[in-house]
Amino acid sequence: MSTATLTDTEIIKITNKCKACDHCTSVCPTGAAKGLLGQKHYIDYKTCINCGQCLINCPFGAITDSSTVDQVNQALKDPGKTVIVQEAPAVRVALGEEFGLPIGTNVKGKMHAALRKLGFDKVYDTEFAADLTIMEEGTELIHRVFKMAGVAGFEDRGPLPQFTSCCPAWIKYAEDKYPAVLPHLSSAKSPQQMFGAIAKTYAAKKQGVNPADMVSVSVMPCTAKKYESERPEMIASGFKDVDYVITTRELASMIKDAGIDFANLPDEEADKLIGSSTGAATIFGVTGGVMEAALRTAYEVLSGESLDKVEFKAVRGMQPVREATVEIPVKDLGITLPVNVCIVTGTKYVDKVVEDVIAGRSNYHFIEVMNCPGGCINGGGQPIRHEMY
Amino acid sequence: MSIFKEKSVFTRRQFLIGSGMLAATAVITGIFAKFGFDAYAVSQDYIAKRAAGLYNLDEKMAIRKSHENPEILQIYKDFLSPGEVSPVSEKAHHLLHTKYGREIPAMIEELHAHRHDAA
Repeated sequence: MSTATLTDTEIIKITNKCKACDHCTSVCPTGAAKGLLGQKHYIDYKTCINCGQCLINCPFGAITDSSTVDQVNQALKDPGKTVIVQEAPAVRVALGEEFGLPIGTNVKGKMHAALRKLGFDKVYDTEFAADLTIMEEGTELIHRVFKMAGVAGFEDRGPLPQFTSCCPAWIKYAEDKYPAVLPHLSSAKSPQQMFGAIAKTYAAKKQGVNPADMVSVSVMPCTAKKYESERPEMIASGFKDVDYVITTRELASMIKDAGIDFANLPDEEADKLIGSSTGAATIFGVTGGVMEAALRTAYEVLSGESLDKVEFKAVRGMQPVREATVEIPVKDLGITLPVNVCIVTGTKYVDKVVEDVIAGRSNYHFIEVMNCPGGCINGGGQPIRHEMY
Repeated sequence: MSIFKEKSVFTRRQFLIGSGMLAATAVITGIFAKFGFDAYAVSQDYIAKRAAGLYNLDEKMAIRKSHENPEILQIYKDFLSPGEVSPVSEKAHHLLHTKYGREIPAMIEELHAHRHDAA
């Protein structure tokens, strides 16, 4: 079965506009952007993790990503197709920038309205799947902690520490460079792929739609998500789980092409069934957010108590590597467990953390890794900002 | 006799000025080489502003914990673990979990063998 819909799997491309300034080689986390000073640069696809940091940082706009906007437009015109859409948390605080709104403006409601105007049959929300990710990944973490504590029935669980698995650039980096760390990765899929698998099974059944006629579109702040949706194992629903991924920039251009007056749209809610979300899902888009969302749920499930204050400010911040310890009372074991967590933002900084884990020197329990500095809000699919100092 | 007359290329003064300039160039180049100099430095303020946007949105949400999302409870009760809310059920494992690296080819074969059992 051929599942590829992108024309090729080389997502990031350097065009002939390249001035060989070497800026991409300085932002590339893996050294995949290469070239001699003065010669047109190129990308080494063996080590490229498709993060798109070179693309949003190129001073000459010389780097592009593969696009499936044409296929999405075609599906929208086809009356035989039910086209559904999901949008990542980070999209809603950046999309407005393309329409002259201040940086960081929340345009969640307008975004839903614009997607309906573009003709999507159902407008859902990736945030629902982010909540689902916390349920699965958080439970997996609790099981791994039980295994470490010697609780019977959890012997076959994975080792600690557990790494998050939401970032497709980090996953490819771990697979390429550190195969020994793979058992430490959470087996939970990313929210995008969870949503895809749920949409063509649960949602299709509830809506009475044949999943073969369903087209699942995803709006992401990320170019690596395009690669993730093309991974050949992402067919759990029996079909390609996520058909097309477009970036925040591409959605903005679709809205502009359709002549929609974005800034004056009314606020609309996402469709019910798999469209409701919580604050924990919203913060998935910022570094430390997956950690904080998981802590909110893990604390309440393990302790059996309700949190008065849901914020875990210790995990917030913009430093590339942060650590914190959270005391969680575990009701079932009758102990208070100090949970050591670590947050890494920027794959450049992950090597030491991973090498400590492989060598057995790490005393962390849970490690969040996001490739882009600051998290998904600064992803390779976000609006490009070039304000110089 | 002219054969004993010293023929110098530089005067003493020229030599001191020249060597001083060379030393200064070496020091300045060394500082840039050591600490870096990016001709294209871009403001990173926008990252903090977008982050603040998400944290503000979180504070405005009525529900702020994933396990309290009513649609999440519903999907477990109706579909993933019928009748109860039990994550990492067999169905959840099939649809929501994956494998990495060299375990993938076997996983793909498994998925193709059970293509239309998922729903």
